[in-house]
Amino acid sequence: MKGLISGIKRMEIHDGDGLRTTVFFKGCPLKCIWCHNPESISFEKQVAFFKEKCISCQLCKWERTPKTAKSCPTSALVLYGEEYETDALIEEIMKDELFFRNGGGGVTLSGGECLSQGDFATDVAKKLKEKGISVYIDTCGFVKREVLQKIMPFTDKFLYDIKAITPEVHKKSTGQDNALILDNLCFLSENNAKIEIRYPLIKGYNDKECAKIGEFLQDLKGITKVKVLQYHNFAGSRYEALDMQNTLPEAETTFDDVQKAVEILKSYNLNAVNGIQED
Amino acid sequence: MSLNREELFEYATKHIKTDDNSDVLELDCKNIIFLLDNCEITVPESNRFFITVNCEGIQKNIYNKRMHLFSHEIAESGLYVGDEARAYTGYYDFSHTTAQWESVLSLGITGLRKRISEYAEKNKGDEKKDRFYKEISKVYDAALRFLKRASDAAAACGKNEMAEGIKSLTENAPKNLFEAMQTTIIYYVLQHMFEGTYLRTLGRLDSLFYSYYEKENKENAKELVLAYLKEIDTLKAPANTPFALGGTDEHGNSLINELSYVFVEAYKKANTNNTKFHLLCNDNTPADIIESAFEGVRNGSNSIFFMSDKKIIESLEKLGEDRKDALNYHVVGCYECGGEGELTSSCNARVNLPLALEFALNNGKTFIADKQAGLENNGRFESFDALYKEFLRQLVYMCNCAMKLTDLCEVHYRDVHSAPILSGVYVSALEKGGDLYCDYTAKYNNSSVNALGLATAVDSLAAIKKLVFEDKTMSLSRLTEILKSNWENEEPLRLLVKNKYPKFGLNDKNTDNIAKNIVDVLHQAISGKPNVKGGIYRLGLFSIDWRWEFGLKTGASADGRLSGETLSQNTSATFGADKNGATAHLLSIATIDASKTPNGTIADIDLHSSAVKGKNGINALTSTLKTFFDLGGFGVHYNILDTETLKDAKLNPEKYPNLQVRICGWNVLFSALSEKEKDEFIARSIK
Repeated sequence: MKGLISGIKRMEIHDGDGLRTTVFFKGCPLKCIWCHNPESISFEKQVAFFKEKCISCQLCKWERTPKTAKSCPTSALVLYGEEYETDALIEEIMKDELFFRNGGGGVTLSGGECLSQGDFATDVAKKLKEKGISVYIDTCGFVKREVLQKIMPFTDKFLYDIKAITPEVHKKSTGQDNALILDNLCFLSENNAKIEIRYPLIKGYNDKECAKIGEFLQDLKGITKVKVLQYHNFAGSRYEALDMQNTLPEAETTFDDVQKAVEILKSYNLNAVNGIQED
Repeated sequence: MSLNREELFEYATKHIKTDDNSDVLELDCKNIIFLLDNCEITVPESNRFFITVNCEGIQKNIYNKRMHLFSHEIAESGLYVGDEARAYTGYYDFSHTTAQWESVLSLGITGLRKRISEYAEKNKGDEKKDRFYKEISKVYDAALRFLKRASDAAAACGKNEMAEGIKSLTENAPKNLFEAMQTTIIYYVLQHMFEGTYLRTLGRLDSLFYSYYEKENKENAKELVLAYLKEIDTLKAPANTPFALGGTDEHGNSLINELSYVFVEAYKKANTNNTKFHLLCNDNTPADIIESAFEGVRNGSNSIFFMSDKKIIESLEKLGEDRKDALNYHVVGCYECGGEGELTSSCNARVNLPLALEFALNNGKTFIADKQAGLENNGRFESFDALYKEFLRQLVYMCNCAMKLTDLCEVHYRDVHSAPILSGVYVSALEKGGDLYCDYTAKYNNSSVNALGLATAVDSLAAIKKLVFEDKTMSLSRLTEILKSNWENEEPLRLLVKNKYPKFGLNDKNTDNIAKNIVDVLHQAISGKPNVKGGIYRLGLFSIDWRWEFGLKTGASADGRLSGETLSQNTSATFGADKNGATAHLLSIATIDASKTPNGTIADIDLHSSAVKGKNGINALTSTLKTFFDLGGFGVHYNILDTETLKDAKLNPEKYPNLQVRICGWNVLFSALSEKEKDEFIARSIK
C-alpha cells in the first residue's frame, strides 16, 4: 500500500510520550487559519520556493519540479510529498527502534490528517503493532467513523485536537463544522480509547471556547490529559514559499494566556497542562 | 623567605642542560626543591582548603627549553615537511595521566615519603636505584617543609581550619573528608605548580572520598563538596581540572554511591568554568543519576561527559592490559582512558585524514603549499576502489611517519623531563627504582596517535564515489583541478555536494561503513606497534581544537569544504550534516568499532534546547545515551544550544557570565570564544 508523506521527524518529544518518530501525512480536510504546517494541507505533491536561499545558479532553469528540487544546491526548492510503500516507511521508522524501546517512545502518525489516508495509516499502524511499537494517532477528528474503527485496535493513544465547541467559531476558524469531530471523540471515549486532547489557543479566535471545552470534556472517560498549546506565527515564510495565502493571525499566545486557560480547564477536573512548560 | 617569579625562574634556568655528571632527575629535583622552599605563598580569601603559589609554569618552561635542544633531529629526519604541512605530527607528552590517588589518600604526603624509604631500604645496594630514592626523598622532604610553611601562612591569615588541616597532614594521612579533599588539592598543586605538568586528572572522587564521607555529618559533607568543586575550579590547570564519578566493579556493578549524588547536585550548583566531569556509566548505573546529570547538561552552565565503562574496559583489554587494571581505568584527559598503572601519553601524534586523500589525488603533494609530503603515485584510478586503496596507502604511510616522529622525541625523555612527585606515588616506579619518564618504569608505557577529520575524509570519499564513479558527472582529474582552485566558479556544485550528497552521520550504512573501515585500517596500522619506551601505540579519534590548526593547512575537500576551513570535530558528523537528527547521528558513530580506540571515539551531539524540554526531554536524552552505549558507543557529550541565547550572549556578554559550551575536549565560557567560534556555535544551534 502507498501513501503520501510530507516529512519524517526523528527524536521528537512534542508528539506524545517518550522519544518518538513523527510521520507527517500529506493532506488535511480542515483549513485552520493558524495552521503551522501549510505544506501538509494539500493532498498533492508541492515544490516550495524559498527565495532567500536561492543563489540564482539557474540549475533549475526556474522550473519548480520534484526533479529540480532534488538537485537544488541550497534547498531553495523543497519538495513536499514523497510516496512511501508501507514497508519502506516501516523500515525508515524502525531505524530508531532501540531508542523507542529505551525511552518509552514509539511512532506518532500525524499530518496533515493521517486518517485522511485511512487505509494506508491503518496498514502502517497494524504492521508497527505487530513489531511491538507504540503507535499514537494525532488527528483533527474530521474523519470517517469507519477509519477510526479500523485503526483503533492498533492505536495506543489518540492525540485529539479540539479547537472549538461553538459550531460557528469552528467553522470560521477551520472551514468545517465540528459536529463530526465531537461525535468521533465521544465514540473513541465510549470505546475505551486513551485520548490526549490538544487545544491550540489562538487569541481572538477560540480563546473564549475554553470553558465550553472544559464542560464538554469533563464527563468523557479516557481523557488522560488536556494540553493547551501556544501559538506562534513562525510559519509565514512557508506559506509564501508555497504560493499560499498567509492566513496566520498576528497575535501570538503568551505564557500567561496559556496558563489562564489551563486554570479554567483544571476547574473542570481535567488534567490540564501548559504546553509551553510540559512538553 | 620567599622569592618572586623572576628570581625563581633565574635559579631554574641554571638547570636546563645536562652534562656527564648530572642527570635530568637530579636537576629537576634541585629545581623543584628550590621552588618548594622559596616560592611565595598567598592565601586567597575565597579558598577553604589550600593556599596558592607563584611558580606556575616555571618547570614547564625548563622542559620546553630542553626539548628545543633536540628539535634539529626532526628537521634532519626528512619528516619535517609532513609535520609542517600538518599531515602528521608527533611529539612528547608529559601529561595526560593520573596519580594513583588511592595511595595518595591512604598514605598522605607523609606516608608517601615513608613508603619511599621502605622501598629504598628493600632495594639497597643498586647505585642507580639508590640515587632515585635519594632524589625523590629529598623532594618529598621539601614538600613537607612547604606544607609547614603553607600551614603557617594560612594561620597568619586567620584560616584556622585550613592551617590545622595542613599541619595535621605534615604528620598523618588524612583523617576526615576535609583533610582528604585537602590532600588531593595539595597533591594537585605539587604536580602542576612544581613538577610542571600540563594536565593530570583527579580520580574517581566518589569512590576515593566515600569512606571519609560515611563518617561525616551529611549536611557538612554537602557544603564541603560544593566548596571543593569551587576551589578545584581555581587550580589554574591550563586545560581544565577533570574528575570522574561512577565506574564498574569486577562483578559488573555500578560504583555510583550516595556521595556521587552529592557531587552531581553540588556540581549543578557550583557554576564552575574550569572543571570537567566524566560520568562513567554501565548497564547498572542508576537512571536517576543520569537524569540528574542531563538536567545539569541542559541548564548549560557546566560540562558533563558520559562514558561507557563496557567499551573502555574492552578497549584497554584489547591493548593487552590486565582486566583489573582495565576495570580501574582513569580518564586521563578530555576523553582518553588509561588503565591503572599506565603512563598513558594520549596526545603524542596526530594524522590528518583528509590530507591522505589530498595526497592520493595530488601525487603526494599538498594542495596549498604544493609540497611533497606524501607518497608519489601515477594519479590514474580506474575505479573508486583503486582510489580508496591509494588513500589507505597514503594514510598508513602517514601513521608510520607520525609514530617515527614521536619515537624521535620520546627517546629523549631522560634528557628532558622527569617526574619525581608522580614517580613517588606509582608502585611500579618504586619497585623498579626509577623515574616514570626517564626510566620508563610505569607498568604500561604507551604512546598515542589521534586521527583527525574522520567525517571530512569520509564525506569527501563518498562525494567522489558518487560524483566521479557512479553519476560520472566529471572526471577525477577535473574534480582535482576544481579542488586545487578552491571550487573557483563552482559554487553551485560545491553547495550541491555539501548539502545534498551522502554524509557520515545520516545513518546511511554505505557511508558509515567507509568510516568503520578507515578506523579498522588505522587500528591495524597503529594499535600495538612498539614505541621506544617499551610500550605500544594506541589509537584515538578526537580532534578537539586541533581541527582548526590542521584545517588551515588542508586544501579544499570534495565534501564541499573550502580550503583552510576547519576539519570535522572528533568522531562526529561535519557540522550541519546531521540532518536526520541525533538518533541517526549516534547510529552512524556506533558503526565504528570503538574497542579499537582506547583514546576515544567521541560523539558530539548538538541539540536545540526546545528539542529536549521538560521531563520528556530528559527521557529522550536518557534513551539516546542508553541506546548509544548498548550499541557499543564509547563516549558522548551533548551541547544543548539555544540560538536566541547564543546570539544575545554574543552581543551582550556581560549578561551571561556563566554560559558555557563544550567546544572540543573541554568546556569554555562562551564569552571567551573568538567571534568566528561564536558564529560557528550559533550556526550549530539552528536546526
